[in-house]
Amino acid sequence: MRPAVLNIILGLLMLALFVASMAVGPAELDISESVRGLFAGGGEAAGIIMREIRLPRALLGLGIGFTLGISGAVLQGFLRNPLAEPGIIGVSAMAAFGAVLIFYSGLAGSTLYALPAGALLGAVVAVLLLLALAARSGSTLTLILAGVALSSLSAALTSLVLNLSPNPFASYEIIFWLLGSLKDRSMEHVWLALPLMAAGWLLIALSGRAIDALSLGEEAAASLGIHMKRTRLLIVMGTALGVGAATAVAGTIGFVGLVVPHLIRPLTNRLPSRLLLPAGLGGAVLLLAADVAVRLVLPTGELNVGVLTALIGAPFFLWLVVRSRREVFYAA
Amino acid sequence: MKTGKRGVRRALGKATICLMTLALSSAPVLAQAPARVMSLNLCTDQLAMALAAPGQLSSISFLSRDPSLSAMHEEAETYRVNHGRAEEVFLENPDLVVTGTYSLHNTTGLLKRLGFRVEEFSFIQTVETIPDDIRRMGALLGQAARAEAMAKDFEAELSRIESRQCGKQPTAIAFEQGGVAAGSGTLADSALAAAGFRNLAAEAGIAGMAPMPIELIVPQKPDVIITRAGEEDQPSLGAKVPYHPALRALEGTRIGPFVPRGTWSCGGPFTMEAVRALASLREEIAPCGETR
Repeated sequence: MRPAVLNIILGLLMLALFVASMAVGPAELDISESVRGLFAGGGEAAGIIMREIRLPRALLGLGIGFTLGISGAVLQGFLRNPLAEPGIIGVSAMAAFGAVLIFYSGLAGSTLYALPAGALLGAVVAVLLLLALAARSGSTLTLILAGVALSSLSAALTSLVLNLSPNPFASYEIIFWLLGSLKDRSMEHVWLALPLMAAGWLLIALSGRAIDALSLGEEAAASLGIHMKRTRLLIVMGTALGVGAATAVAGTIGFVGLVVPHLIRPLTNRLPSRLLLPAGLGGAVLLLAADVAVRLVLPTGELNVGVLTALIGAPFFLWLVVRSRREVFYAA
Repeated sequence: MKTGKRGVRRALGKATICLMTLALSSAPVLAQAPARVMSLNLCTDQLAMALAAPGQLSSISFLSRDPSLSAMHEEAETYRVNHGRAEEVFLENPDLVVTGTYSLHNTTGLLKRLGFRVEEFSFIQTVETIPDDIRRMGALLGQAARAEAMAKDFEAELSRIESRQCGKQPTAIAFEQGGVAAGSGTLADSALAAAGFRNLAAEAGIAGMAPMPIELIVPQKPDVIITRAGEEDQPSLGAKVPYHPALRALEGTRIGPFVPRGTWSCGGPFTMEAVRALASLREEIAPCGETR
């Protein structure tokens, strides 16, 4: 498929799901009420619901989905590992732990700014740790195993911090941090996360030429004039900014970055850089769709969207493992 | 065989306690009043603290020291605390254990099998049940007269506050951590009704404590949203939900704790403070005018 056509189709799908996300919610507004509420000013109930509850939710679904999709694509290209994804290699889990540690300890008062600060820190530490491990051995298995260990450790530490919190209700928030949600988010969260995520997209986009060259191997890339240190810095900071900001406001949402690049890669010319934009758009499509689905399945109780993405993604992950079993074993 | 062994152990325990009581205290102990009472539940803790004679309450639950949950957290500092574990009860060997029906179900069953006297209080409390809860605790502790006076005071003030109501009924929602609202049958619902508020969560069909989506609250435009007090120093994401910008955007809606902290987590004599605070809030929002 021509790249432009693919991007236009995914972009239209994303817009359609964005509109669907704006249209779904427990307050059953009809279309004219919704549209009037969104564009007319004033303190009408429909307006407040559309602008303060549904718009931030849809914007975050779009932005976080895009971030997870593009991060998955760049990590798979850069690490030359089909199983790389921010959730599986532990970046999201470390980001969640960082956010939890700084926010619930009350070190920064109860300000929301503590969340992205902690999450970015956690994400940077995770990516650096994984690069150190993965750089030493090029094996697929090492990275995934390190990621599994990092994820489990971070999840355990997250639970520990929340259980030790002086607030008796904080332990109920473990599920939010381990299986993220977009419920009850507001424009404050959008302003907090979206600029950081956009900066992350930009950094990742700048690494496009380098990851194309890297698909020929590191030495070949170096001979093509690719600066490895600069590339690594771009990708580390790009994914850490994006995934950190996303996790800070929505908890850990797994598997989006794994599933989407694999579904879209066959539709591209398989150059890693050409996958970045469609993977981002596809991630946004998947997360928006999942977030609409959780609101339709259980309108009042509301499932966490991370539960749904894991239900879709984990079997897919298993299938990938089975398919690439031979390759993984030889690489190990 | 089993029962025999247990009986012997209990008898030995009782004997030891009797000897210790004889040795340690010269004060006469009423035959029917238990000398050592242990409370395992935040709500029974506070009823017991309000009524027990000095030294009668051997320990209370650790939650009673949490200022955000317990109206009597300062008094609680002067008591020993337990964590509601059967082992602790066994070591302390009280004459009476008071606890809630909801919490620690397994512990309660185990304690009964071990032969302890366990009295359970229903966790479903309203302002109407509080006087009888006070009387029951009083009877159990051998403090019936004191309890009767306390219950009478409570009933008198409750009916005095209820009689101050007039036709105007502002609307309210008690909105807890993480978007959980107090619906019908809750203590908060009954306190709101006594103070002259309409509880929108109960009217929306919510029973007990259940999540209420913000989207459903916005169109109702409640006059007051009552949040949990005392969380400034204990950050959590759930505590921010009642302060969501969509609710703050409602003109004419007041959001805040309004109710002194801990006074309606549990029903007790102190719950009157919550009713009083709500009644004066109601009069501030919707003054009755000349009728008062």
